[in-house]
Amino acid sequence: MRIPPTLRRLTGALAGLLLAAAAQAQTEITFWVRAPDAGFVEPLVKNWNASHNNKVALTVIPADDFVTKFGTAVAGGAAPDVVAIDLIFVPAFSQAGQLTEIGAEARALPYAKSLSPSHLRLAMYEGRQYAVPFSAESSFLVYNKDLFKKAGLDPEKPPKTMGELEAYAKKIAGLGKGVKGFYFSGACGGCNIFTMTPYVWASGGDVFTPDNKQEALDTPALRNTLAMYRRLWEAGAIPAGAKTDNGSSFISPFFTGKIGMIGSGAFSIGLLKKEHPELDFGVAPLPGDKGGSASFAGGDSIAIPKGSKHKKEAWEFIQWCLSPEVQVEQFAKNGSLPVRADLADNAYSRQDSRFAVAAAQMQAGRTPYSVKFNQLINDPNGPWLAMIQEAVFGPGVDPAIKNAQQKFRQILAAP
Amino acid sequence: MVTTLFGYTIPRSWAAYLFILPCLAVTTLFFLVPLGMTAWMSLNEWPLLGHPSFAGLRNYLALFVDASFWGSLLFTVKYTLVVTPAIFLFAFALALLVQRGARFVGIFRTAYFLPVVIGMTSASLLWTWLFNDQVGIFSALLMDLGLVDEPVQWLGETNSALASIVTMVLWKAAGFTMVILLVGMQAIPVDLYEAAALDGAGWLRQIRSITIPLMRRTFALALTMSFIGSFLAFEQFFVMTRGGPFNSTITIVHWIYRASFTYFKLGYGAAMSMVLLLILLVLSGLQLWLLRDDKE
Repeated sequence: MRIPPTLRRLTGALAGLLLAAAAQAQTEITFWVRAPDAGFVEPLVKNWNASHNNKVALTVIPADDFVTKFGTAVAGGAAPDVVAIDLIFVPAFSQAGQLTEIGAEARALPYAKSLSPSHLRLAMYEGRQYAVPFSAESSFLVYNKDLFKKAGLDPEKPPKTMGELEAYAKKIAGLGKGVKGFYFSGACGGCNIFTMTPYVWASGGDVFTPDNKQEALDTPALRNTLAMYRRLWEAGAIPAGAKTDNGSSFISPFFTGKIGMIGSGAFSIGLLKKEHPELDFGVAPLPGDKGGSASFAGGDSIAIPKGSKHKKEAWEFIQWCLSPEVQVEQFAKNGSLPVRADLADNAYSRQDSRFAVAAAQMQAGRTPYSVKFNQLINDPNGPWLAMIQEAVFGPGVDPAIKNAQQKFRQILAAP
Repeated sequence: MVTTLFGYTIPRSWAAYLFILPCLAVTTLFFLVPLGMTAWMSLNEWPLLGHPSFAGLRNYLALFVDASFWGSLLFTVKYTLVVTPAIFLFAFALALLVQRGARFVGIFRTAYFLPVVIGMTSASLLWTWLFNDQVGIFSALLMDLGLVDEPVQWLGETNSALASIVTMVLWKAAGFTMVILLVGMQAIPVDLYEAAALDGAGWLRQIRSITIPLMRRTFALALTMSFIGSFLAFEQFFVMTRGGPFNSTITIVHWIYRASFTYFKLGYGAAMSMVLLLILLVLSGLQLWLLRDDKE
C-alpha cells in the first residue's frame, strides 16, 4: 500500500505528539512506610514531588500493623508500588512471594558493593534478592553526662562491661528525686530485640542457632542479660512506667534528663541535638558481660511489591532514594546514617564524633534472620516479649526462658 | 386470601415475602453468605498469602488442644461475668434517676448517653491516656490527694487492668442499656404505681413489686445485648492492654484476630469464629429461656 507523503508526515507528527504526551503523563507511585519513619520520609517525598514528573503518594502505616496491613493488601491485590519495610521482615515477605525480584538491577548499581551488608543479607531469600537498603539504624548506649557527673562517675568513661553498667545505673538511681539509672520499653518486643540482644551477642550468646532454624535461648549470655535487667528493676533503678511502655515512649523518658542510660539508635542523636540541646549526652557501644560490644544493625529496606503496576517508575524512585541527594543531604543532614559505606564519612558526620560511633556500630552490627520474626519477636503477645516480661517483672529468669523455648519451638516448627 | 400488586392478583402470602425481601437480601448478602464462607474457610488450611487446601476438621481438632484458645475463652467469660452485671446494675440505677420528668432531666439523660456515640476505639484511646502514669488524670489526682507516692500503673497488673477496662466500658456502654431500660420502665402504666402508693407501698417496694417484675422482657433484651457485646470484646483490650501484662488479658476475638492476621492462619481463625458463634447461640438461648415471660 502506498501512503501519501502528507499523510505519512501527519502520522509521524501525531506519533511524536503522542510520545511527548506519554512522557508528560504523570504516573503516581504509591509508597508505604511505617509510622516511625514518617519524620524523614515525608520531607523526602516532598522533595521528590517538587523535582520530578512522576509523583509519589505516601501512606504511613502504624508500625505494629504494618505486616498485617501489607500482607492483606498484597493478598487482596491492592499492594503499593514501593514499600519500605523493617529489614527484619524482608525474609518473611520474600518467602511469601510478595516482593519482586530486583537482584539484577541492584547488582548493576555502581555502588552495589558499598550497600549495608546486613540489609543485603536479609534481602536474600533462596539465592534471590528482593530488596535494597533504604535507611540504617544501629543500636548503642546513650547516656546522660550530667547525671554521670552528679553520681560521681567520669562522663567520658561509659560502662565497658554489663557489671559496670549495672553498678553505674544503681549509682545514678541513688541520686533520688525521680532520677533513674536505666530505661527500656518493657512491653515492646521489637524495641528489645534492638536494644537488649546486643548484650547477649556481646556476651557470646544469640537468639537463634547459626542456621537461624532453631532457638538458642538457653545460654548464660541471655540468662545474665535478663538477670541484670531484673536486678535493675528490683533495685528501683528503672522507672515503673517501663513495664507497660509498648514502645510509644521508647526514648522520650530520656528527654526529661532523669534517666542515666538507655539503649537507643542513631536517630536519637539527631533528635536529641535538635529537640533537647540542653541535654549533654554521650554514646557508647552496648557492652557484654566481660567487655566487648555488639549492635543491632537495623533500619528499613525498600522493595517493589508483587502486583506493582509501575515497576520501572518505582525503581527510578528507589535509585533516587539511594543517591547522595537523599542519603547525605537528607538523611545524614538530619542526623541519621546513610546505607552506603562510601557515603558514611560525609560533611555532616564529621561535625559530630557521636555519629562515628553509630556508623561503626552499623558496620559491625548483627541482624537475626528469620521468616517467623513477626510471630516470635514483634508480636505484642509473642514469646520473645512474654519472656522479657516474665523474666524482668514476673516469676523470674529461668521459668521465663523455659516457657519461651517451648513457644519458640512450636512457632519455628509450624509450616 | 389474595391481594393485588400493579393490577395483578397474587396470593396474600407472596406479598408478605415481598415485604421481607429487602431485609432478606441484606441479611443474605451480609450475614448468610459470609457465614457460609467462614464455615467453608474453617474446613481449609487457608494462609493469608498462598493457596488454601482442604483440611476437613483438622482446624477444629487443633482448637481443642490449643491452650491459648481455652485461656482466652476463660478470660472472656471472666470479663463478661464482671462487666455484664456491672453495666446492668449501673444502667438500672441511672434509668431510675432519670425516669421521672424532673427539671433538667433531659440534660442528664443526654449526658449519660453521650459516651455511647463515641467509637469504642476512640474511647479506649482516650482512657489509655487518662490511665497513663505520666500524664493521666487518675494517677495525678491520687498523688495530689496524697493517697499514693508513686504514679499508679493502672494497666500494669492483670486485675487492675481488668478493673480499669471495666470502668471504661461502664462509662461507655451503660448509657445504651439505660435507654433500653428507660423505655421498659416508661411502658409500665402509672396507675399501677398510684394504686400501690394508695396501698401504702414505698419507693423501694414499688420497684421490687411493680418495676422489676414487669420489666422481665426488657431485662432479657438488655442483658442479652450487653452479654453478647461483652463476649465479643476486642477494641478496648487491643488498644488499652494489647493483651498484656503477661498475655493475661487476651479475649477470644483478640485471639481470633492474632491467629488470622499475625499468624496468617485464616482457616484456623474461621474455625474459632464458628465455635464462638455456637457458644454465643447456646448461651444467649439459655439466657432468654431463663428470663422468659411465663405468660408467653
